[in-house]
Amino acid sequence: MPDRKLEDGKGLWADQIDELARRRAFTAEMGGPENVARQHRAGRLTVRERIESVTDKGSFREIGTLAGTGEYDDDLKLKKLTPATYVAGTARIEGRPVAIGGEDFTVRGGTSFGAQRRKGGQGGYIEDLAHHYKMPLINLIDGAGGSVTSAKRRGFVVFPGVDGFERSVGLLGEVPVISAVLGTAAGGPAGRAILSHFSVMVEGTSQIFAAGPPVVKRSLGQTISKEELGGPQVAVKKAGSIHNVAETEDEAFAQIRRFLAFMPQNVWELPPVLPAEDPVNRREEALLGIVPERRTRPYDMKKLISLVVDRDSAFEIRPAYGRAVITMLARLGGRPVGIVANNPMIYGGAMDADAARKQIHFMELCDTFHIPLVFLVDVPGFMVGLKAEQEGTLREGMRVVYTAGQLKVPTLTMVIRKCYGMAGMATCNKNDIDLKLAWPSGEWGSLPVEGGVAAAFRREIAAADDPKAREKELEDELRAYTSPFRTAEALGVEEVIDPRETRPLLCDYIALAEQRLKIGLGPRARAGVAP
Amino acid sequence: MATTEVTSEVIGSVWKVEKAAGDALAEGDLIMILESMKMEIPVEAPVAGTLSELKVAPEDSVEEDQVLCLIES
Repeated sequence: MPDRKLEDGKGLWADQIDELARRRAFTAEMGGPENVARQHRAGRLTVRERIESVTDKGSFREIGTLAGTGEYDDDLKLKKLTPATYVAGTARIEGRPVAIGGEDFTVRGGTSFGAQRRKGGQGGYIEDLAHHYKMPLINLIDGAGGSVTSAKRRGFVVFPGVDGFERSVGLLGEVPVISAVLGTAAGGPAGRAILSHFSVMVEGTSQIFAAGPPVVKRSLGQTISKEELGGPQVAVKKAGSIHNVAETEDEAFAQIRRFLAFMPQNVWELPPVLPAEDPVNRREEALLGIVPERRTRPYDMKKLISLVVDRDSAFEIRPAYGRAVITMLARLGGRPVGIVANNPMIYGGAMDADAARKQIHFMELCDTFHIPLVFLVDVPGFMVGLKAEQEGTLREGMRVVYTAGQLKVPTLTMVIRKCYGMAGMATCNKNDIDLKLAWPSGEWGSLPVEGGVAAAFRREIAAADDPKAREKELEDELRAYTSPFRTAEALGVEEVIDPRETRPLLCDYIALAEQRLKIGLGPRARAGVAP
Repeated sequence: MATTEVTSEVIGSVWKVEKAAGDALAEGDLIMILESMKMEIPVEAPVAGTLSELKVAPEDSVEEDQVLCLIES
């Protein structure tokens, strides 16, 4: 019997194909031309434009395209489909698969899509996909989370944590998770931005907080703008809630791609190695001129790093926060490394609470994704003074020592100048084979000679005819013992090197580390209670 | 004419002041040296202009973000 549709002159399944096209068209419209125009006027891209910009051209394959809320006429024919407030799917970045999703602010301000939890947000389908397919997850965050109106739709209020962040938490030990805050994020989406390995926000068009100005007004009576409460000045520079700031959305996307280039697809793989274009044996003469002979003069540690790592390979994480320590992803001979360097420009490199938090997160990131760590050390100790004590420097500092002591990834410690006390301990993993190397400018000990002498010889100095002269005499006497060559005699450090040999030597050891990295693949074991 | 406030990045004290009010400054000129954590912290002109006012003197204590001097440009 001939098919009725063919007799009509239409193709097989023509009505259904038409309906599919119609439904897809509703989805492509997002919140409608007016809302899209408003999003653009606010200096923001739509979620679909964002996905196109951050991923390889034409690689996005949407999941849940048809999810939304349909309106039907009396004949139960679809009148209109309001798309779900979340757009998600798979794509490629530099050819590598990623899971990607983000709120559609043009639809109901990106508030959670109450009808179908798995379409979007925490615990959503996209997170399950990243988990099961073991690929990186990119969150493009532009929403304020739940709305009290969803309780009315649902008929009850949800208990926090049921269908909550379980998956978001688990992913942090499995695959790289990157969050971009691209609008005003509060509540759930704000929390999700923090549950990431790398986060970036955009100057001027994005803010993040636990709760926004209306809640602050109601709770504390304070009037404050959303930029004052959660712009980059607070969230990036002061609080360190978000790692980096970008001038534009496009720059944020560039940072995401840059970060991802250093990461393996998951913890069961090694990070990607690129061809070594910069000669591994490059001896950099300028390294000799970097550290001033006068011990009280700071120098430019970032310049030092740039002379050592593969040309233009360094990507700084959290440049504005905890600036006493510098954390950078970079390459040595094409191989990804994590650089942890003290910054003598900021309090002589003394570790404060912010720097400690920054170093902990960065070390855990590198340890999780099998990226060897290179410490470039110039640390006089923990930060001192009332403010530092009030901020909990001692506890945060000891958490760095604790985390460093548990590292499984190979570490190389290169002492550039000072390496003192417990902050010095936080620059290497002494439980293992990892090397301690030093420049001739290196000096170390439990505490610096100055100050140490005043404390240990207090009576003798006070009793001297010329106390100042006696203190200086004692300092000079003890300083003779602080020569790095004397520690090297005792194999207390494995090598003292010519600064110009830094790059060839580090490149070689990082290449040798590959076998150790291979046998350490897989999730990172957790043990103990961090102090 | 714009006024630029030059602020301290650190808690510490003023060790040496290298310029006087009225001096012309090129960008990057050393204005003063602070001492903090036994280190010499140079304070350099962020912009070119004229040093219009010094707000601190040697041995003064300074706080983070404290204004050290003003530059008119």
